[in-house]
Order: sequence, then C-alpha cells, then structure tokens
Amino acid sequence: MRTQTHDRESIPELPNRLGIEGIEFIEYATARPQALGQVLEQMGFRPVARHRSREVTLYRQGAMNLIVNANHDAARVESAQDGQPVLSAVAFRVRDALKAHTRCLDLGAWSVPSHAQAMELHIPAIHGPGSSRFYFVDRWREFSIYDIDFKPIPTVDVQPPALEGMGYFGVVQYIGAQRSADWLTYYEHMFDFTAIPDEERFGILPKGKLMRSPCGQFLWQLIEPEPWMDAEDTGECLQRIGLGVKDVGKAVQALKARGVEFVESSRLHPEDRGALTRSMLGSVAFELVHQDR
Amino acid sequence: MHMLDGYGMDTITMAGSLEAKLSAMKSAGFSQVMLMARDLVGHPGGVEAAAQAVRDSGLRPTGFQVLRDFEGLSGHLHDYKVDIAKSMLTMCQAVGSGVLLACSSTSRHATDEREQIVRDLRKLAMLALPLGIRVAYEALSWGRTVNDYVTSWELVEEADCPNLGVGIDSFHIFAAQSSLDALEDIDPDKIFLAQLSDFMWHDTPTFEDRITTARTFRVFPGEGVHSEQLADLVLRLERMGYAGDFSFEVFNDDYQQLPLNTVAERARRSALWLHQDVLHRSAPLPTWTRQR
Repeated sequence: MRTQTHDRESIPELPNRLGIEGIEFIEYATARPQALGQVLEQMGFRPVARHRSREVTLYRQGAMNLIVNANHDAARVESAQDGQPVLSAVAFRVRDALKAHTRCLDLGAWSVPSHAQAMELHIPAIHGPGSSRFYFVDRWREFSIYDIDFKPIPTVDVQPPALEGMGYFGVVQYIGAQRSADWLTYYEHMFDFTAIPDEERFGILPKGKLMRSPCGQFLWQLIEPEPWMDAEDTGECLQRIGLGVKDVGKAVQALKARGVEFVESSRLHPEDRGALTRSMLGSVAFELVHQDR
Repeated sequence: MHMLDGYGMDTITMAGSLEAKLSAMKSAGFSQVMLMARDLVGHPGGVEAAAQAVRDSGLRPTGFQVLRDFEGLSGHLHDYKVDIAKSMLTMCQAVGSGVLLACSSTSRHATDEREQIVRDLRKLAMLALPLGIRVAYEALSWGRTVNDYVTSWELVEEADCPNLGVGIDSFHIFAAQSSLDALEDIDPDKIFLAQLSDFMWHDTPTFEDRITTARTFRVFPGEGVHSEQLADLVLRLERMGYAGDFSFEVFNDDYQQLPLNTVAERARRSALWLHQDVLHRSAPLPTWTRQR
C-alpha cells in the first residue's frame, strides 16, 4: 500500500535551487569587538576561535555560529552607521557554493570580491540589503570551515551548549517605504524563499511580511517604516536576529539572570510566544520566538 | 504645491553646465529634472560634485538616462553590458534618482528571442532592486525587436518584477504611428515614466528618418504637428489613472544654441498648455485659503 500522501494530493515540492540547508553563520561588524563580545556572552554565546590573519572572532552556542568582524573594512561599514555594530552578513549553507553564487549572479545579484589571504577559504558572496552580504558555504557536512581560517581559543569548549536550547529562528530586515513587493520578489527569485500568509505569525512582533527559507529552517521578516518617519529612519538593513526557543519564559529567566534586559511595556513584554531584548550598544537586539523543535 | 509640479525638463534639451541648466529650470518654475549620465561624468568635479549640485538645486530627479542595448546579448557582450548597467545604476543611485531609463535594443548582435529578452529584463530589474531603483523599459521606434510600446509592455508583464515597468515616449509612438488604443491594457502603476515631445512633420517612414528626427529635431508638446494626438495621449494616461510625472524629452539642435532661459521658457509654455488647455487642471489656490 502506498502511504505517500504527497503523491495522492499532488502537493508540489517547493523548489530549492540553491540547495539551502539553513544558516551557517551570522556576522556582526563592529569597531568595538570587546563590547559586542560582552553582549553576546550575556546572550549565551562563547568565543571559541580567532581568525588567523584578521581581527575576527567566532562565537558559538549550540548549532549557532556568530562571527564578530572588527577588521578594518568591516569597522568602516560600522562607522557609517553612527558607530553602532551592524548585522553585516548571513551565510547560507548550500549544496554547491560556486553553483549557488553563479546562479545568483546570472539572476542579477552583485558579486562581492574576495579578500582571502594565502591558504584561507574563499567564500563566495553577493551584496545584500544596505551594506550587508550573503555568503554561500557548502563545506559544512564533512568538516568545519572554521578549522581552516580560525585557530581555536586554548582551553575553551569549542562546542558550548545552547542556552535553553536556543537556535537561529530567523532574521528581521528593515526595508524602505513601499518596498515589500520588491524584496519579496527578490528573495523568491534569488533564494526560493516563499511568502507566508499574513494570518500566520510567530513571536510578539508580527509586523510586515514574512518569508520561509526553502529548507524550512529559518524565516525572513521584512518591515517597512511607519509613514510618519523621517528619511534617515527609513534606510534598509538587516536589523536583528530571531532566536527560536521551546520555553520562552525559562529562556527569559535564564537571560535575565545573566544581566540581559527585556522590553517591558504595556504593549510589548515577554510572554509565552516571544520576547524582545532591549537594544544594546545602540543597535544590537535579539528576539526570542517560541518554537517547538 | 505649484502648477508645474507634475512636469519637468530633460537636461539633454539644453547646452551649458549642469548648474546652469538646473538654475534655468528652477527659474522657469520647474521642480524636477530628468538627468543623463553625461551630466555626471562630464562634470568638472566628477560624479559626486554633480550629485551634490542636483541636491543643492532642490530639484527632484524624475529619472536617469540612459541604458542602451542591454537585452538579448550573450557571452562576453552580455557580461560587458551587465558591467555598464551596474555603473549606470550606481550613478543613478548617487544622484538620488529612483528611476533608470532603459531603451530597447538596436543591436544586430542581440537575439529576438522573447524568452531571453524577458530573462535579461528580469536580471536588470534584480540588479536595480537592492539599490531601490525602478527600471523604465522604453521601446525605441527603431528598436530591432521591440519598437512599439505594446511589445515593451508585453515583455515587462512577462518578466513580472515589481520594479520593472515601461517608459512611454510620445515621440516613438507618433514616429511609429502606433495606435493609442492599446494603452488601456497597461497597468497605470507600471508606467514608471512618461516622456513627451513632438516634431514638425508627419511622416518618418524609415528607421533613419526616425533616428535623425529623434536626435536633432524634437520640439516641446504643443509646438509640433501632433498636438491633437499628444493631447489625446496625455488625456488617456490621465483617465487610466497614471499619477506619475511628465518629462519633456526634447532633443533639438536649435535649442542647444539658444540661451538657457529662452529654452526653459518654451518648456514652461508647453507645461502650461498641458496643464491648463489639455488637462484642464486648475491653478492651486493661494496659500491663505489653505491656512484656516
């Protein structure tokens, strides 16, 4: 007997032409890596390795890799943003990085030139919104890319467990006024993301448009400015990271105990569905979202 | 709110420096300007200084022109054009223009295969998208494969990108003697630019006639022999719900030899003709009536 309900109901497979399989790492650029490191450690990340040739540190908790880039070029990006750390890149795990990069260029993406030094990995990248980049990484199954470009920090556990089982849930991107249709098309076209109906929402900040990655492992939220906002508040950037967690209440307690403060107002406060940390260093906020894993 | 707010001149119409052109347009009462790449690259202070001059003028860029012969190429020619497009888009962004004008290809090296043309237009739109730029695809009346607005709209519709639309140019419609009836098929929100001009004779039967007339002897709306058709075009656009700008794409060798204020004054007369005699729009009420 055939039990394949997909066949019976002819549900189409969602295309995933880049073979996206989740997020390999997310990168912050900053000229104040120690200050940002402190914030990340409060959030449960641990520094585990340093780049061989540049001022770049790898933080980790559970399956999440987070890179703090204080290299000169990256810091310059930050200085253009009032000295606040910026979410400067998201790296996608893909089936074949070169093919993914080539396909995106064929579709109209802007390539980012590599600055890899001798014996370092060349990770292909394209420009994202604002000053951000998207990287493509394919060598994540057989070995870790960090083993090549990074040196482990001595005596440190290189696989620290995730606080309350937190994992990457998604990324929030701020977009310009009336730009939702543009960016929805862009992500659909480039990465095979699909739009989620407006009725389906997660967490406590349901504004804007929501998309799902073709691998189903992360979400992408697009938020337009309010009509009354000044032009300088309407720029486009990657704004914050969403962290999925089974028990939001427990995670909030654990993070509060580590000194993390949460936004608590009559309209917005920690609850079962989610919570938002207060902005740290002017721009760094994390959103907790309830997720049954 | 000023009477001429919906109308603008193109820098290609006048001689002189960018600053002198902007100043003449402003003095004539215009609040927007259609810019060309040469305004930026030919500026003695370079692209950044030109962009600053535009910002200082207070004039809003209607659009930026022009990317030519982009679609339908393959191999190294395609790669070359992608590079050119990226440079044009970078300048378009630097000068604060939200629209890049792309004209249909005249190249005999370009394919007439629709599928590839659509793919290339989509690629151009994707290149422009992160920069917040919309692409207005315009059919030149001597375009090799696409030479009327009906075809340009069909391709834009097929490419189906929110930041890809059509540019409508009255000159090419009159030169190719295209019917205006098909305008109604176009989604008015997908007309990203409406460029108006006329010329002084009725027929331009060959591509050569069209090219020569287009590049040397266009005149402002109301000055040529197609005033009735031009009025019809503008009224149809208005009825469809087109809410964008009208810019005067007037290439004219004589105007290149006249004082800038004289040319800008002709443009002003043309805008007033459109505003009052064609569209019958009223003059804005004096400020004191809106202050209560």
